[in-house]
Amino acid sequence: MKFLRLLFNNLLRNKRRTFLTLSSIAASLFLITTLLTVLHEMENPVSTPESALRVLTRHRVSLANILPMSYRAKIQHVEGVEAVVGAMWFGGVYKDPKNFFAQFGVDADQFFKVYADLQMPEDQKQAYIQDRLGAIAGNNLADRFGWKVGDKIPIQGALFDFPLELTLRGIYSGGSDDGSTLYFHWEYFNEGMKKLYGNGEGVNFTGFYTARVASAGRIPEVAEKIDAIFRNTSAPTKTESEKAFVLGFISMMGNIRMLVTSICSVVIFTIVLVAANTMAMSIRERVREIGILKALGFRKAQVLGLLLGESVLLAVVGALLGSLAARVIFSGARLSAATGGMLTRIQVTPAILALCAGIGLLVGIVSAGIPAWQAASRRVVEALREVD
Amino acid sequence: MKIPIRYNLGSLWARRTSTLMAVLGIGFTVAILVTMMALVQGLDSTFVETGQENQLIVIRQGSQNEVNSYFSRELFPTVKFLPGVAKGQDGEPLIVGDNVVIINHERLDGHASNLMVRGTSVSGLALRPEAKLVQGRWFNRGLREICASQSLSKRFRNLALGDTIHFARSDWKVVGVFEAGGTAYDSEVWADYEEICQDWDRPSYSSVLLRAENAAAAQDIRKRIADDRRINLQAVSQKKYYADQTNTSVGIKALGYFIAVILGVGASFAAMNMMYGAVMTRSKEVATLRAIGFRKRNILGSFMMESVILGLAGGILGCLMALPLHGISSATANFQTFSEVLFNFRITPAIMMRGLLYSALVAVLGGYLPARRAARAKLIDIMR
Repeated sequence: MKFLRLLFNNLLRNKRRTFLTLSSIAASLFLITTLLTVLHEMENPVSTPESALRVLTRHRVSLANILPMSYRAKIQHVEGVEAVVGAMWFGGVYKDPKNFFAQFGVDADQFFKVYADLQMPEDQKQAYIQDRLGAIAGNNLADRFGWKVGDKIPIQGALFDFPLELTLRGIYSGGSDDGSTLYFHWEYFNEGMKKLYGNGEGVNFTGFYTARVASAGRIPEVAEKIDAIFRNTSAPTKTESEKAFVLGFISMMGNIRMLVTSICSVVIFTIVLVAANTMAMSIRERVREIGILKALGFRKAQVLGLLLGESVLLAVVGALLGSLAARVIFSGARLSAATGGMLTRIQVTPAILALCAGIGLLVGIVSAGIPAWQAASRRVVEALREVD
Repeated sequence: MKIPIRYNLGSLWARRTSTLMAVLGIGFTVAILVTMMALVQGLDSTFVETGQENQLIVIRQGSQNEVNSYFSRELFPTVKFLPGVAKGQDGEPLIVGDNVVIINHERLDGHASNLMVRGTSVSGLALRPEAKLVQGRWFNRGLREICASQSLSKRFRNLALGDTIHFARSDWKVVGVFEAGGTAYDSEVWADYEEICQDWDRPSYSSVLLRAENAAAAQDIRKRIADDRRINLQAVSQKKYYADQTNTSVGIKALGYFIAVILGVGASFAAMNMMYGAVMTRSKEVATLRAIGFRKRNILGSFMMESVILGLAGGILGCLMALPLHGISSATANFQTFSEVLFNFRITPAIMMRGLLYSALVAVLGGYLPARRAARAKLIDIMR
């Protein structure tokens, strides 16, 4: 540690070079941090103690197939199920098709029992439950469009041929959807369908059911029981935990993991080259100096340590600067509004920060390895003979 | 007088290790960008190349695509007998009504994904000349037969010729495999319209595809359909219908720009470092050049040239590194239709030009300050 000052002085010898290398590494690690965090968020959907108790039941064929409303009571009676709500995807358009967000018509009566992790004032909950045309929106969604409680939210029908004239009754936070969903009353949806199709077929259905199970341990058993009820009907079901459901959805987006990991590996390789170039330049200029150190009695290992230490210090500081910048920038940004709801949250975790510091360490060692070894192995006489 | 390029090439060669590292650094950066552009290009062209001139796709008013459109079978004759619909060799109007459904099915990698199944008619194949049979035969009515695209049959379970796949209420036999030239049809399974209606309990149309006699007739049909309040349908040019789906790649494009900017900053700093190094080690040389009569702007130009040569070498290398990805197939979700869309990476000359421009830009940004410094250095200081 007594050589730390020497390391610093050596780094500060050519301030511009140090600054440029540092910035280059920081920019690259900023990118790596962002990509890894987005990947991490995708592969680990937000989970709350409540969401870990939820199972989703959908039509076996696909999510686009509908389920009869009568299933609700049957699921409710399965042992281990505490509450169940149906949810219907409306897929409507708010002002412009680009303003895409999820709109679900849900059974408001038991909604807050199943989604107990949604936080909102009690009076707002009641206002929503009591207003048949009422809706609640997540905080990120409300922020994206500047909605306030009491605002009218008109949604044009796209999938269904009628509009919704909703009034925002509450704004929730928390939950496992990052506050990006709009919920309204399924009853209101069904009335719209009845106006179109009368009381015959084409009414009284929903998209999927969400049930709250008594304990997470019982999820496999409950899921099996639910699917068993409907196995031989015209609408067989598939029940899985909320997390498995979300992951299944995300896996449809393609091999994001491979895209991200290959980009990151190439970027790391590139910064190794950049840092190696800097270290090679810097060491080449100091061959004589290194010779003097050795003449003074420094051993090869010590010289090597000094040079590697310098490179590691530079790379780790650069890496941390980049990663921390990502952490600070993304935690303050209004991502949902900025990305049109595509991203709601990029939270750089301590694990990713540590990983990036590790990448810095690796880059520091690998990049200085060869030139440092060469310089440290040189014979004193040769090194001293070197002229600039 | 200009300093000859040979001088720059010689200098780069003299510092070849350093040069090589800088070239590789820029090369990798360009390779990443070219790959991202190839991905977007491949995905976009899947949609852009689908559809024929003068063909219209009819969907329900207010819906954005086939998957969320449905309308009554009774409307079909209204559309079929509109004036201006082209006739086939048999004298019948060129029109086909489809029922499009989504099934969740397992891929070969074990994950399930959503697949688009088109209930259609063999008589309508003339309207989709993109698709060509490569194995087996087309499906027959009444036997629960399907045809899958070659790309899908390589990606999903039970979709190869002769396989049987269970979905909805039946077992379906794969009797044919088709190939649709990288268009959107390459992400579809085709079956008989009536059978899909039966298995889904949904005797309706998602869309009707028709060919108009010419552009004017197409315009006329669109207007007639839009004006007929009773049918509540809309007709969209088939080309435009698919072109609109290119916003599937919006997220990837945004990611690409983000990466381009951040890596560009990193790469130009690295290039700057390298060029400063070059300027410093050659300060005596520069002074000599000035002393023998070269002007400041010659020196500036020469160093900029050297930086750009370095950048372009990196750019060329980057394009070459990305080139093997051309044609590799991949897939992503089309969130408009909630189904998987297959595409191939496509590296076009235009993409490579953009890669090279990018590398030159990085070099100019990175080379300018060092070159200016070289040009401004005071002769007397250096000579001393």
